[in-house]
Formats: sequence, C-alpha cells, structure tokens
Amino acid sequence: MRARIILTLKQHRFETVAVTIVCVGLTLAALIEAYRLNSLNVPLSCLQTYQFGYADPSQGPISAAQAHCNELAKSFFDTKSSLDMSLVQLLLLFAPLLTGIVVGAPLVAREIEQGTAPLSWALSGSRRRWLLGKVLAGVVLLAPLMLAVGLAANVLEGALSPGLNPYASFSNYLGRGVIDVFWALAAFAGTFALGTLLGRTMPAVVVALVVCFFVRAAWDSGMSHFVLRSFAVEQVQQDQQNQQGGYVVYGPGGPAYADMNLYYKTFIDGKEVTDAQRNDWYAQNMVCTPIPTPSDSTSPAEAGSPGASNSPGASSSPGAPATPGYPTTVGNGGIACQGPTVDPSHFPQQIPYVIPGSWYWQIVGLESGILLLGSLFCGAIAFVWVDRRRPY
Amino acid sequence: MATDAGALVARATGVALQAHGLSKRFGKKTALDAIDLTVPAGSVTALVGPNGAGKTTLIRICMAFERPNGGRVEVDGVDPWKHRSEALRGVGYVPQTPAVYRGLDVDDHLAMARSLHSGFDAEYARKRLNQLGIPLDQRADTLSGGQAAQLGLAIALGTRAKVLLLDEPLANLDPLARREFIQVLIDAIRSDGSTVLLSSHIVTDVEEACDRLVILGAGKVLLDCPLEEARQAHKLTDSKSPPPGGIAVGSFAGKGLTRLTLWRVPADAGEGAAAATEPASLEEVVLGYLAAGRGTTGLQLN
Ligand SMILES: Nc1ncnc2c1ncn2[C@@H]1O[C@H](COP(=O)(O)OP(=O)(O)OP(=O)(O)O)[C@@H](O)[C@H]1O
Ligand SMILES: [Mg+2]
Repeated sequence: MRARIILTLKQHRFETVAVTIVCVGLTLAALIEAYRLNSLNVPLSCLQTYQFGYADPSQGPISAAQAHCNELAKSFFDTKSSLDMSLVQLLLLFAPLLTGIVVGAPLVAREIEQGTAPLSWALSGSRRRWLLGKVLAGVVLLAPLMLAVGLAANVLEGALSPGLNPYASFSNYLGRGVIDVFWALAAFAGTFALGTLLGRTMPAVVVALVVCFFVRAAWDSGMSHFVLRSFAVEQVQQDQQNQQGGYVVYGPGGPAYADMNLYYKTFIDGKEVTDAQRNDWYAQNMVCTPIPTPSDSTSPAEAGSPGASNSPGASSSPGAPATPGYPTTVGNGGIACQGPTVDPSHFPQQIPYVIPGSWYWQIVGLESGILLLGSLFCGAIAFVWVDRRRPY
Repeated sequence: MATDAGALVARATGVALQAHGLSKRFGKKTALDAIDLTVPAGSVTALVGPNGAGKTTLIRICMAFERPNGGRVEVDGVDPWKHRSEALRGVGYVPQTPAVYRGLDVDDHLAMARSLHSGFDAEYARKRLNQLGIPLDQRADTLSGGQAAQLGLAIALGTRAKVLLLDEPLANLDPLARREFIQVLIDAIRSDGSTVLLSSHIVTDVEEACDRLVILGAGKVLLDCPLEEARQAHKLTDSKSPPPGGIAVGSFAGKGLTRLTLWRVPADAGEGAAAATEPASLEEVVLGYLAAGRGTTGLQLN
C-alpha cells in the first residue's frame, strides 16, 4: 500500500505540490500574524478600557498612562483589522474546502478522462482496493497539512482575542483547530465521489464548489438548530475578576463570550413566557422610545429574538458588559423603555441558553464526527459506483 | 466455491473463454447479437472484423468493463461481471488505445502494476522494455505512440496471465516490432501455456502466431474455426460457377475489375474440386465473410 500511496501522490504531482505549498504557506502566514499581534504586548486592561472607535470626549483629559495604553490598544486593533490579517483569515476559512476539492476531483475522474482506468482496473481486479489506495493517498496528504493549518489558526485566534482560550471558546471554532481536517476530508470525499459519478474533473470541481458553498453556509444555523439546541444549558455568567475558567471572558473592548449562544428564555415573575407575551408586557407597562446606539452588537442582553442574530461561533463581540441578573430593559433594535410604575424586580428576565465554552472539545468532536460520517457516506457512494461504472 | 469449481471445470474441459448468447446493445445499436464463442485453452485466436463489428465490445465484456444485456461470458470458468477479482486475476489486457500515466515514468508504471497485481513480474517486463530500447526513466507521456503500446504490452505480459486479451495490439507497432511481438506471443504460449484472444484488422499480420480465427461482423460470429480449416475449406473463383460441393459465402471486388467469390468446400467434396479452383488465402477468407456479413447471417464451421 505504501508504494501505491507514493505513486498516487506522484501521479497527482501538481495537486500534491500545490496543496502542500498553500497549506504550509498559510500555516506560516497565520503564525506570523499571530506573532505580530502577540509581540505588541498590549495589556488586557488596555484593550478593555480602550473605547474602540467611539471614545467619549466628555470624560475630560486622560492621564499619560491611559494615553499610552490607548496608543497600544489602537495599534492592536489596527493590526487586527489590517488587510493582510483579513486575507489570512479568509484563506483560513476556505482552505480546508478548497484543498479537499483540489485533491478529490482528479482522483478518479482524471483516470477516466485520460483512459488510464482500464489499465489499472485490469491489473487490480478489485476496483475498490484500487480506489482505497488512492483515497488513502489523499488522506495521507490532506490530514497532516490541514492539522497544521488548523493548529496555526488556533494560535491566531488566541492572539486575536486575548484572554480567550481557543480551546475553551466557540469564537470562530468552525474555522480553526482539528475540525479543519474534517472539513477537508468531507470536501475531499464529496468531490472524489462526484468525480467517480461524473467521470470528469472540471464538472466535479464546479459541482463540488457549489455544494460546499451551500453546506458551509448552512452549517452554522443547521447545527445550532437541529443538533446543538438540545444540549444548551442556562448560561452561568461570571464577573470580570473571574477570567480563568469562566464562561464569560473579558476580551478586547468588552466581554468576549466563550460560550455559544443558542436561544433565550424569558421569565416574568419566575414564569416562562413566549416572545409575544413578553412584547405584550412591554406594551402594557413601559413607554418605549428608540435610542441611538453606538453598536449593533449581539450581546445577550440586547438580542431580543432568540437565535436570530446568534449563530454559533459569532459570540465574541465588543459592547457593554452584560449585567448579571439585572432585568433587561432594552428591546429589539435598541429601544429604551421606561416603566416608572413597575418595580424592576418584576421586569421580564431573559436567560441565555448556551453551549459553555468549556465544552469545546465535546462539540468539536461531535461536529467532526458528523463531518466524518458525511465523508464516509460520500466515500461509500464512490466505492459502490466505481464497481458499476465504465472505465471510460 | 462456485467460481473455483467453474475454473476447475474450465481447465478440465480445456476452455479458456466462453460466450453464451452474449448480447450487448448501446441504445438502439446492437454491438453484439447473441453470440456464442469458445476459445480453447492454449490457443491463439485472432478476432477479426470491420470497424464497429463488436471486437472491442466483446473484449471489454470479458474485462467486466461493460455489462452484457443478455447471455454471459466466462473467463477461465468465472463470470467476470459477478466475480471480477477472480476472473481478472488471470487475465492480461491491452486496450485498443494505449493509455499511460502522464506524470509517471516507465519504471513507475511497472511499480504501479506490481502494487496492483500481486503476481506481476516486473523483471520480465523490464527485460522486454530494455530489449526494445525503451528507457525506464523516460516520462511515459513523452513515449511515442508505439512505445506507449509496447509499455502496455509489457505490463500485460508481465502479469504472466493465463489468458491474454489484446485489443489490436499491433495497430501502433512498426513492422519490426510487429514481428518481434508475434515472436513474444509464440514464446509466451510455449512457456506459460497462455491463451490469447487478439483482435486485428489485418489477419496476415497475426497469421503466423494464431491457430484459430473468429470473424465478427455486425455483432455476429461469421466464422469460428481453426486457422488451418479456414484455409483448406475455402476456395476462390472469379466466376459464378461453384466448385463441386461448394457453398457460396460471399463475393467481393478483386484486383482489377474481377469480382471474386469465396466458396466453402466441405472436406468430403471430391478431389476435383480442389484442383479446379484457386485455394483462398486467409485474407480472402476474411474478405468473403465480411462481404457476407453485410447482408446475410454468417456460416458456422466447427
Ligand atoms: N460506449 C458506447 N456507447 C455507444 N455505442 C458504442 C459504445 N461502445 C461501442 N459502441 C458501438 O458498438 C459497436 C461496436 O463497437 P466496437 O468498439 O466493439 O467495434 P470494434 O469491432 O472494436 O471496431 P474497431 O475495429 O473500429 O475498433 C459500434 O457501432 C460502436 O459505435
Ligand atoms: Mg475496437
């Protein structure tokens, strides 16, 4: 089998070299970007006090120490939003799918196009054994490369969100770490299955691109809606002092949520109510007016409709810290409400339901497992079809 | 178990390849029309026929590349569509259009064959390629058409297979390489006792190596008999008058303006029959049957 793997990689020399260069390059790029951020050595407190983009001038003159602090924090955010950083992040997002497609498409399809399949199939007798050798070559190529990319992406994530442990937070968790390997394998399996069905490389690439795009786009909401929702637990909020191991970790410019927000439950006087009932309550008891808001961020206190603006992994955002246990007085889209007649203790309470950041490995394992099952399913289709199809 | 038994029966009865009522259609086009065919073990059978006769289709069905619409084939007693690995283990195959892995060199091809086929004799293949002056380190996509065909042949022969299915193996070879190839085939049969089914358009090329002739025309078997019988049982005349005991097979244009007719003359026809007419060459036998194949159904000898 070793000889087959080496020969397969040699046969697909172009793809092998291209994918290796891209992955190694991307790994280095991510590490360099992480190093750039880390080497700024910005104290976490500076990031917390720096009011990014909307510093309040009414607070009077600031101290020299604070000015220095702001200076540091500004350089951090400048680096974070620089073009090369965005580019690296974009590539990190798509690399697993693209490399999987590039390696998977020609695996079977090119043999059929170039007429070499009859040669191999005649020699091998068992086409499945032949395909297994080729698939193993693809896995041997992709798995270590994507693992390197994924780990580098974790390092970068740690640098982008200081104070946030990448292995205990769901910030961007689908685009980094070991799950990258499984994205690549799923794209690989799907594409070589398409190549086996279609017998043509380019059509397989095109169809795979479309399918991967939709699957990736629908993955977050699909997972949170159909799978993760049932695991969600009531969020345990922790204060700023308790940064270690807490579910809420304070990162740059405010709280970064290690947890993955899935939905909210609203209670009035200890009784769970629907969204409509909650809105009725506000209509009856409060006078509400729109307020100008500096940020449209999605901290749990602001998001009125459960799930709508809370995709998993997108919970790290700057904004005002949530006040634990304090009744919500801000409705959808920044509406300030006043209800002078009602005692605040009777206000509706919104309780976020989340996957705690400390469940990182379990969730990554679960989603990797689902991707792996998908890969095996696609692989099985290819293995069945390769036995039935013509070699030309 | 069943397939092993089939193989044993095949060996005991001395049949390497057999087709029973084999049919293959591509849409409305019938490529093979319920053909019956038996290739005895240890024989070298020439499969001849015009373009589109179904030669390649027959060989592809034997390789399980195509699924028959009716009937079945057995290679060494095993149905290749049902028991592919067993059936193909003992088959060496050369496709009509030589195909090589573009990124690999010649020696890589042998390594690839070795990794796919446990019995592959890479040394044998190497020796053969060396004799032909084909460098082992040359990239396969830079080989000439004939050299690529030679590589395909070397791989097929390197399997030391009991049955060789060769689809126009001579088509891309130069005259010298053709002669050498025929020699190699004869050697292979002598040393390994292989059975060969090889398709060709030009029967004179393979005459020397073959001992059986199968003529396919429009998806039917027009003639299936030992080569010697094909020669002796056919006479050629340039008139409409049959030789004594002769049955007309078909007529075709001869050299000049003459129209030649091929006659099948059974062995028990009088001595005078042989003397009165020209004995037919193998090429003329083929031409006569091909002409017949256009209109009528074929004759079966044997
Ligand atoms: N995959 C296919 N799809 C449709 N028709 C096919 C296919 N393969 C073969 N045919 C048709 O079946 C018939 C037999 O083709 P085949 O290739 O067996 O002929 P052949 O005897 O090998 O001819 P040649 O001497 O030109 O190689 C032809 O009419 C061909 O067009
Ligand atoms: Mg052909």
